[in-house]
Amino acid sequence: MNKYLQIFKLSFQQEFAYRLNFIMWRVRNILQIILTFFLWSSVFKNPQTEVFGYNQEKILTYVFGILILRAIVFSARAVDVAGEISNGAISNFLLKPVSYFKYWATRDVASKVLNLSFSVIEITLLFLILKPNLFLQTNLVVLFAVFISLILAVVLFFCLLFITNMSAFWMPENGWAAQFLFIVIITDFLSGGVFPLDIMPLVLQKVLYSTPFPYLLFFPLQIYLGKIAGLEIIRGLITSFAWVFILLMILKFTWAKGLRRYSAEGR
Amino acid sequence: MKMERAIVVDRLVKNFEVTEKEKGLRGSIKSIFSPKKKTVHALRGISFTIQPGELVGFIGPNGAGKTTTLKTLSGLLYPTSGFVQVLEYDPWDKKSDFLKQISLVMGQKNQLWWDLPAIETFEFNREIYEIPKRDYEKNLEELITLLDVGNLLKTQVRRLSLGQRMRMELVAALLHKPKVLFLDEPTIGLDLIGQQKIREFIYEYNHKNNATIILTSHNMDDLINLARRVIVIGEGRILFDGALEELTGRFAKAKIIKVSFSKEVDIKTIEEIGTVKQVSFPEVTLSVPRSAVAVAAAEILQNFPVNDLTIEEVPVEEIIKKVFRGELTRHE
Repeated sequence: MNKYLQIFKLSFQQEFAYRLNFIMWRVRNILQIILTFFLWSSVFKNPQTEVFGYNQEKILTYVFGILILRAIVFSARAVDVAGEISNGAISNFLLKPVSYFKYWATRDVASKVLNLSFSVIEITLLFLILKPNLFLQTNLVVLFAVFISLILAVVLFFCLLFITNMSAFWMPENGWAAQFLFIVIITDFLSGGVFPLDIMPLVLQKVLYSTPFPYLLFFPLQIYLGKIAGLEIIRGLITSFAWVFILLMILKFTWAKGLRRYSAEGR
Repeated sequence: MKMERAIVVDRLVKNFEVTEKEKGLRGSIKSIFSPKKKTVHALRGISFTIQPGELVGFIGPNGAGKTTTLKTLSGLLYPTSGFVQVLEYDPWDKKSDFLKQISLVMGQKNQLWWDLPAIETFEFNREIYEIPKRDYEKNLEELITLLDVGNLLKTQVRRLSLGQRMRMELVAALLHKPKVLFLDEPTIGLDLIGQQKIREFIYEYNHKNNATIILTSHNMDDLINLARRVIVIGEGRILFDGALEELTGRFAKAKIIKVSFSKEVDIKTIEEIGTVKQVSFPEVTLSVPRSAVAVAAAEILQNFPVNDLTIEEVPVEEIIKKVFRGELTRHE
């Protein structure tokens, strides 16, 4: 497994080669969090106010939780796959005895480690400056469920991202736009990155819960906040797991089909 | 058991489906709603075999199918139909054991990590190809000495010149000592000294390691100096497969007569015998149809004051030039 350790090291170096990009990305994250923080603290001015089952403490934990979860789930390098397919750089990997999936999974892990460590620092700083009341989950069983749901979320997002990116096999020039729409807008919105999903009408929530999106951010956070328990957690984990399975199948299938279409242009 | 054939290609066909776009914004919008599909026949059924240790040159005009062939042989492209075998593997399976024995190097393209020094890519390849530390150090030392890049290992790749980068690419591609090497335009864009260095290196590598090499090039010197055997491809078909010297006999429809006259003669009368290529008295060079060469020579000897007369083949360079211009077609 030395191969992938080497990839891990190189990824780190690459991230640092684009220091400015990385810094801008972190700045964006901080600004987003400050924005949402002030929005929600003005809505919940009175600590006693409770809307849709959220009081000030829980909504603020939600906002901070999203920041950490985004760093874990959404920070992924596989956004570059579409580009590699359309400019032909993927050929370099197809020619080598290395798994392209494991390669990107490794780069993702490197990216997550880096982003997460920065997130922790940022959160500590924001915490000291804003001094919000945060909700601390202490039940170990719940925390374990959170952990499991997070691993599933990471795999889910990896699959979703990879499948979207592979559209470049068929539409080499549309890669970027499709990704932007899908990842930045739709996924973030549908997974609860913008606001808690349980403030939506019940029917919509039901529909959403049968898609993979809420399991990316919202579901793990709901478990942490203690808003769902017992059977609901189990049901969610099973649905999430089922989606992992389905998406892995689609991923494999699309990959096999895409490679046959691949024309190794450009390079 | 010793392998008899390093590469077997039998009736290989490769088609690409491309979407055509009309020019301008209107064309772009139109192509979203009713895309015009077109099939490009890149390879129309080619067959050849290559023995271990052979160095074969692929020549042909742009778009003839040379690169497509190399990409199919290295497992990047899925054949539309036909049979391909390299080192007894089906390249498409991309088995690790197969990939560890081949390498594809393409002229202007890079596998080196752009933002990092080349040594990082080498280290990366060492892990990927699982090269034992000792072999790696030995191979690296040998390659950087041969290619004279030892002092550039720690320079960021983006800061290297094209020639330096090409040599680094070769190092990266050969660290695992591939038995089969596909080189696509390895000397493109290099100055004469750079080209010479690469050529010498390819020759060395072929001889030292008994490696099988296929080389495509637009550079006549590459072919004349390196390849014993050439395969000429045009419009997805093989037009010629054989020794470089035979290429002339197959394709040159004319021969060259060089005459040295003892006295000044009237050029006009000579022009009736053949096409005058060059006049620098007392020497005149004529091009005469192959079938008429004996008659023409006799006629000159009889009717003119001749000092010396030789009959020669059209130079290989001329033929290759024609091949690249796509002027040569199959003649049965």
